[in-house]
Amino acid sequence: MKYDLIVIGAGPAGMSAAIKAASYGAKVAVIDENPSAGGKLLGQLHKEPKSGWWHGRKIAREMETNLRQTGVTCFQGKEVWGIYPRWKVIMNNGEELQSENVLIASGATEKAIPVPGWTLPGAMAVGAAQTLTNYHRVKPGNKVAVIGVDPLSLSVAHQLKIAGVHVVGIFLPPNNEFSKDRSTPSQMISYLSSMAHAAPNIFLKFAGNMAKYPFVQQVGAKFYPRFGIIIWGTPFYLRKTVLEIGGAEQVEHIKVAPVSQEGIPNEDRVKTVDVDCVCISGGLYPLMELAGAAGCESVYIEELGGHIPLHSPEMETTQPGIFVAGNITGIESAKVAMEQGNLAGTVVAAKLGLFSYKLIEEAQKNVKEARENAVITFQQNIAKGREKSQQSWKEYDSKGVKLYADS
Amino acid sequence: MSKDILICRCEEVMLSELKAGINEGLTTAKALKLKTRAGMGICQGKTCRPLIEQIVAHYTDKEIPDGSGLTFTYPVRPISLIELAGERKGVE
Amino acid sequence: MMRITDHPILEDLEKRPVTITFNGMDYQAYEGESIAAALLANHIRVLRYSEKNREPRGIYCGIGHCYECRVTVDGKRSVRACITKVRDQMCIKSQDGDDS
Repeated sequence: MKYDLIVIGAGPAGMSAAIKAASYGAKVAVIDENPSAGGKLLGQLHKEPKSGWWHGRKIAREMETNLRQTGVTCFQGKEVWGIYPRWKVIMNNGEELQSENVLIASGATEKAIPVPGWTLPGAMAVGAAQTLTNYHRVKPGNKVAVIGVDPLSLSVAHQLKIAGVHVVGIFLPPNNEFSKDRSTPSQMISYLSSMAHAAPNIFLKFAGNMAKYPFVQQVGAKFYPRFGIIIWGTPFYLRKTVLEIGGAEQVEHIKVAPVSQEGIPNEDRVKTVDVDCVCISGGLYPLMELAGAAGCESVYIEELGGHIPLHSPEMETTQPGIFVAGNITGIESAKVAMEQGNLAGTVVAAKLGLFSYKLIEEAQKNVKEARENAVITFQQNIAKGREKSQQSWKEYDSKGVKLYADS
Repeated sequence: MSKDILICRCEEVMLSELKAGINEGLTTAKALKLKTRAGMGICQGKTCRPLIEQIVAHYTDKEIPDGSGLTFTYPVRPISLIELAGERKGVE
Repeated sequence: MMRITDHPILEDLEKRPVTITFNGMDYQAYEGESIAAALLANHIRVLRYSEKNREPRGIYCGIGHCYECRVTVDGKRSVRACITKVRDQMCIKSQDGDDS
């Protein structure tokens, strides 16, 4: 079957792109491996300063309705096995779709912070706890410890509390090769201060307020109480770390130790805390395996979360006709992903001759605006990351590989 | 002092095995993967790929390279032999 | 009780009960939910044992990336419990050790 655009991934970016291109008249197919469309939207729940609760599941449902109304063909619950020049997309039922334009919107996956015992059932990535709680409405545990202090973990801690789950505390990850700065109290405070400007939940707001004053940043780590600060009934420990997760068949307890400002644990003061679930948060990284396998060149940009496919301001990769949008290009909020999707959908529609290229500029502006107004930022220095990404593209582009004229 | 940690959940490779590989002179993520099988399991490295890259960067004091030394190959989701043979309905 | 009822912000889910079987035992689940969520709601966390060290494993990523929750469903192997919806009379089995 031939399409004008094949979108891989029905998250906020993929659905936005599909709706946009289809609304201009393009024939679009969307492939997604999950049983329901929505991607990471499905678990999201936080408060927006102006518009109230951001209820991801509801937004996903509205977008899905929109997909159907604009005549997009949806292959839900189908995996993509391969993308071959130029371009054939093979699905796991053997079916082959063809298009000159493919948008890979495969999103992100969690960056692990390994902790001894983290494979025990009950220890899970923080995103799993989010989906269980907000989407499936099943408690990930009755007594939950959260490891890792970042916008996602603090959002999920808040969501767990709203749902009536007992959160025994928010802890720092153990100091090891993988946690680096995330295990250091002083680094954590300065990290939080850069992210909590709009603060969609009380934990982030607390962290933001605490870290707002330079004085607190300097001495905060030193004077932060070892017993934590209780926020909405939940101890927030910036000076305690989880050394290991224990249990026979599943999680039964964690071992907790106080840490120095530099994150070094005091192993003489280890305490055991009974829990049946541990949520580990190490941030997210762009999932670019499909783009990589399709031959798209990548660049490593720490500020964007890891390796991303090199892409033009029009979201096209080094493989002509393969576009990217959403978290595969760097970890940002759903609203940014949606605007990136709109941009990619607009570019493809323009390329197909469905309307003038002028609209691309506007779509690019919308991405920028969404970025500037984001309530949640997941990465520090996202703007710098985007600059680096643009710079890398310029360097690549100046080598004389011109994809297609943009006028 | 610290306990050993499982890094690759699929192939069950421990941090100590990866460190041993580096001590033997393996200095790229790819070499480490081929030696230990870390990242070669059913999830195709989705959980441990960044970890292996971090371990290599940490112990060799190098930056993580732009072109991840770990290649991506099709299929990015596992296929059983039955599926390869085109008998999707068939069960062993 | 693992189910969240009376959520203060989210509206109640529509719940149509179905019956699933896990390792020979019957459990109640709700239509539309994932196998992993249904089993957790029934206090089941251990979904399989690892091949090499025979260690218990369960839900890890919850979004189909890590394959830790893989189970055999109606004879089909390595189905991801976290992104597969339950069906009435679904027969789910743990994949233990060397046969996966």
